[in-house]
Amino acid sequence: MKIAYSHLVSHIQENPTLEMVSDRLFQLGHEHEVEGNIFNMEFTPNRGDCLSVNGLLRDLSVFYTINCDQKVYTEKLDNLQIDFENLSQDICPHISFLKLEIDNIPHTYKGYLNDYFTDLNLNKNNFFTDISNYISYETGQPTHCYDANKVNGKLIFQELNTNQEFETLLDKKINLTDKNSVFLLNNEVINLAGVVGGKRTSCSSETKTVLVECAFFKPEKIIGKSVKYDIQSEASHKFERSVDPECHETVIRRFINLVDEYSNIKKMSFVSYKYEDIKAYKIPVDVNKINQIIGINISEDEYLSYLLKLGFTVDNSLITVPSYRSDIETQNDLAEEVARAIGYNNILKKELSIPKGKISNNYDIENKLRYFLLDQGFYEVVNSPFVNISSDMSITVDNPLDSNREYLRTNVISSLMDNLIYNERRQKDSIKLFEISDVYTLKDNQIDRIRRLSIIASGRAGHNYEDFSKKINIKYLTKLFKNGLPGENFDFRILERDSAKTKIKNEIIGCEVDISNFSTEVLNYKEISKSPDTFIQYCPISEL
Amino acid sequence: MSSNKDILPPELIKDKGSLHPINHMKDSIMSLLVSFGFEVVDGPEIETEEFNFDMLNIKKTHPARQMHDTFYVEKKLNLLRTHTSPVQIRGMLEKKPPLAFISGGKVYRKDDDATHLPMFHQVEGIFVDENVSFAQLKDLIYKIIYSLFGESVELRFRPSYFPFTEPSAEVDILSKEGKWLEILGCGLVNPIVLENCNIDSNKYSGLAFGLGIERIAMLKHGITDIREFYKSNLDFLSQFK
Repeated sequence: MKIAYSHLVSHIQENPTLEMVSDRLFQLGHEHEVEGNIFNMEFTPNRGDCLSVNGLLRDLSVFYTINCDQKVYTEKLDNLQIDFENLSQDICPHISFLKLEIDNIPHTYKGYLNDYFTDLNLNKNNFFTDISNYISYETGQPTHCYDANKVNGKLIFQELNTNQEFETLLDKKINLTDKNSVFLLNNEVINLAGVVGGKRTSCSSETKTVLVECAFFKPEKIIGKSVKYDIQSEASHKFERSVDPECHETVIRRFINLVDEYSNIKKMSFVSYKYEDIKAYKIPVDVNKINQIIGINISEDEYLSYLLKLGFTVDNSLITVPSYRSDIETQNDLAEEVARAIGYNNILKKELSIPKGKISNNYDIENKLRYFLLDQGFYEVVNSPFVNISSDMSITVDNPLDSNREYLRTNVISSLMDNLIYNERRQKDSIKLFEISDVYTLKDNQIDRIRRLSIIASGRAGHNYEDFSKKINIKYLTKLFKNGLPGENFDFRILERDSAKTKIKNEIIGCEVDISNFSTEVLNYKEISKSPDTFIQYCPISEL
Repeated sequence: MSSNKDILPPELIKDKGSLHPINHMKDSIMSLLVSFGFEVVDGPEIETEEFNFDMLNIKKTHPARQMHDTFYVEKKLNLLRTHTSPVQIRGMLEKKPPLAFISGGKVYRKDDDATHLPMFHQVEGIFVDENVSFAQLKDLIYKIIYSLFGESVELRFRPSYFPFTEPSAEVDILSKEGKWLEILGCGLVNPIVLENCNIDSNKYSGLAFGLGIERIAMLKHGITDIREFYKSNLDFLSQFK
């Protein structure tokens, strides 16, 4: 989300520079790129409350004096009579509507509304949609504007199984399938709730009477729809991360105020439906717990001062979480608020000592095998488990990245065969590879896990004057391995190269052994190769 | 004229192989952590939603659980683990605190480009005891980063979000080019996760951290395309002897 520095700093009394604000945003955990005078923000998914100018200002208030003096309409509002029924109140526990009629349509903007479009380089749409977009940017609450003259009949909100085409106000036609939360007008979908409105009832540059919908949808009920229908709307981004369920009247009154700045309002009325009391979280004041979690020693006064600045309230030793902070439920959540305010980098580290743990024998056997193979000139490889060949024992991936690789491999040696051919085609005349990996198969409908060592070799035995003229074959490898690990059985065999389609005639020798078959005698092997002490700077193959 | 004594047979140089650079990096990090006192635990790459998500406080609505992020197998009965954290859950269910585990291995996510692959490697660690604090987590992270990149490296902690830790942080190091590079994620174990593992969160607290091995190996070796690791090209592999 892009937020202009000037739109923030105009509310900050201390008038910090762009760099100072940027540093504070990083301290709070709000990653961003600075593009000229714009912060291109990337918020963590738990901080939907920050997806607006006011949201960021609320967080920055822990460092600065914030003047959020945006004007709202303060007069009494008439009650709106609307034919509306909510058949899925568990999904939308709070919804409000404003109907408003103006007598002239403004085409130019001034002040902060003009700055919003100019500074962020945004395209204007129509008057009511422009106000709606600005309100979302300022307050974080998306609103949807219907052309009220196109909404004739009963409006219903419902989650239902749909199978119908829906044309969005972005002129995109989508086929709604399975369960969707939608607004229906005379049984026709006019709005995919929390994602995008429909074209049929959308506002135009001629619209003078608007029906504004301001809703709270439970994030878990609408998440995934924007991805499913490939609609990247700002509204869905906000609804999926949760909006403030208690902000409707303020947002609607701000909407009216903005319209009033540009046009003469002839009529307006408002109604709000709240089906569920959304209770504020209350957490006991416990500064000792906060100090223990972070590893600091601050006073209760200092602790509470951070929270009060962030909009929390304290009464009778209970901290009340503001309605827009759906991410705060526990003492650990509060500790994070304090740690962010202090700055993670300002928290002094404390010595940590951990008692010595046990070391597993299995890894020693595996490591001994690896170093033995290194000493014999073998290279370790790592392969992806996704393959295109299946057997009765294969495990199928439901949603493969590549539909030609929808199975998990049932052996490792086939991957090594591919690796060998790949290197043969690059004129490698001595190829010795191995891989140690888990292999997963289905046995009696149960997933079976086996750890395997797989070895493959072909071509010259080596490049020194003794090995150069020797070809790798079963006898050579068996002798080599018997000398190093006399107690172990590798059972080398010739692998067919029928499918390889190469002209090379060298024998390919390989084996695949369960790691559990190796004895602890492997541990007696004295390796020659050592792990490199320093990290080698890689040279791209094209530059070799 | 040289004498017969000067004529020596040519040196017999035996070909040596090399460890895969990712496994080498993983082993190096795990050895380091074992030297700090951590115990190595192991777990399966095919996991249940319960261990991979539910027990780690990753809610049903979390984007990571959707089909476009996670590989599911056998008609959604199981999945390919998206992180090594389920191994720690299994460890915590088996043992009582104090405990200090590390686990390393392959993990899977539906990504495929020059910096992301559907299969990659992680090393994760967890330490649970009485009064474990964020300040102690910082001490451990400094030790890990200094061991990997030297004590002259500059690092910073940024608040972040992981459902299984709270507070959560990401740690960056400053590159020679003056750019901050993300190295690892860490935090204090969310008390919900401890309770899920039958550990009394009023008595015990824990710290956890996780490193992406490919990312560190790319930085250490100067590799820009992650796909190089898995082509099994001997020209590439032979550089890591």
